[in-house]
Amino acid sequence: MIAWAIARQTVNEALRRRIMWVFLISGFALIALMPLFGYLAPKDSQTVLRSLGLAAILLAGLFITIVTCIYLIPVEIERRTIYTVLSKPVQRFEFVLGKFLGGFITVSINVLAMGVVFLAMLYLQSLRETTDKGLWIWITSGTVPAEMVRGIFMTFFQMLLLAALTIFFSTFTTPIVNFFLSFGIFMVGNLSSVTDSLTTNNNPVVRYTGLAIHYLLPNFGNFNVQNALIHPVTEITNPMEYMRNNIIYALIYSAVLLILAIIVFDRREV
Amino acid sequence: MAAAIEIQGLTKEYVDIWRKQKVSAVKNLTLTVEEGEIFGFLGRNGAGKTTTIKMLLGLLFPTAGDATLLGKPMGDNSVKSLLSYLPEETYFYDSMSAWDLLDFYARLFKIPAGERERRIRISLEKVRLQPEAWKRNIRGYSKGMRQRTGIAQALINDPKLLFLDEPTSGLDPIAHSELRDIVGSLQGEGKTVFLSSHQLADVELICTRVAIIHNGKLLIVGTIKELTAGDITEITVQGEQLSNGDLEEVFVETVRKEEGA
Repeated sequence: MIAWAIARQTVNEALRRRIMWVFLISGFALIALMPLFGYLAPKDSQTVLRSLGLAAILLAGLFITIVTCIYLIPVEIERRTIYTVLSKPVQRFEFVLGKFLGGFITVSINVLAMGVVFLAMLYLQSLRETTDKGLWIWITSGTVPAEMVRGIFMTFFQMLLLAALTIFFSTFTTPIVNFFLSFGIFMVGNLSSVTDSLTTNNNPVVRYTGLAIHYLLPNFGNFNVQNALIHPVTEITNPMEYMRNNIIYALIYSAVLLILAIIVFDRREV
Repeated sequence: MAAAIEIQGLTKEYVDIWRKQKVSAVKNLTLTVEEGEIFGFLGRNGAGKTTTIKMLLGLLFPTAGDATLLGKPMGDNSVKSLLSYLPEETYFYDSMSAWDLLDFYARLFKIPAGERERRIRISLEKVRLQPEAWKRNIRGYSKGMRQRTGIAQALINDPKLLFLDEPTSGLDPIAHSELRDIVGSLQGEGKTVFLSSHQLADVELICTRVAIIHNGKLLIVGTIKELTAGDITEITVQGEQLSNGDLEEVFVETVRKEEGA
């Protein structure tokens, strides 16, 4: 209940930050640019639209997650508002959990908003391809590709993992250092195919470095299923199992990061 | 009368990594505050007053020593529902109104919804914040209104023990005297107040006992009467008796003697 009260307050504060709105509006703008690619051949057009839409959600989600979560704990310490919170019957783990929940709910609202707009755009685009047989038939003739819904869902869990990582770093680093650490790890974590290839390298130094990076850092690349989702020729053999495994991975990895964040913050003087 | 605060050898040292030396913020502090007292904790800037309060509230961890608050170990979560704290120069969540802020803090005490509203109203009325400002953003508040909000949040749980750090600093004379009276009135409600302040006139007016701390070291403890009469026997400064005078004279004399030691 206490963590929830802190989460609610965190969401209210976070939604008032202008920088978050800049990234959200940028995300909407990128999605809105989709129809400009309508001049391409139908198949190319679909590919570009889907790719651009998911990339826009990912990019805006990435910056919204980082700029929201890096400040949640340090700002409380800097403004001394944490004194009035932790001097009340609030356990430190409740504070960290509340901040994480608040940050993630904020990110989720943003990802959801962009996702809805993106799917609406795809729906509208599918309407254009139908013949006009009356208004109702025309309106209900569109479709929302299930694989795109899955793509947004995967981005959602990718952001969950990133939020947990950023909150973990925020318990012991400054926002600037946190920004570069989280952003850097997100980038490296997205190159899972590259780091995976390093694990079989003949050079032992490269191999062990690759192993460490591949297995210790969060594997953000696993959530990027755009290529497989967008190009029908590259099929994911079992999409539901693939999603389930990645969701479990995100949940477990995030839980571990939050436990570490709580351990670090429990020993921190404020 | 039972002890509200009992401090035994409380010490806080910081390690200066670059100079490879230890800096003592609080040195072997031993002190008892009885229930129902308004206890003045005086010292210059950097004397260790805030560090002491933060250790008692579990925000900082002591290097050595121990303390109990209302019979429970300091930092114990179970006793925190009976405590409250007004930090010095606090920034509240600016985008919230005083009402929302108090509602948030009341939730942290798990106060039920109906009771929450009643407590918020009582607290805001007690600090005399104008009702038309209750639901306005704190961002537009004056310093006095913020400080009133700060004291209101410290009253939301009807605490037994309050830690107030400079509650009247930087206020206009009217707000200053009103807030001082509010703090003074808490004793009549059976609350214990641990008041850290530079406003010696206020301390002299409302505190039952006073301690002076300098460079982390406790110099003197006693009632205002004892201190100003110069008949302190608990702790003597360099073995000398203090001269008669008001609290300000006693404070200056005590600190100067310690600095000259």
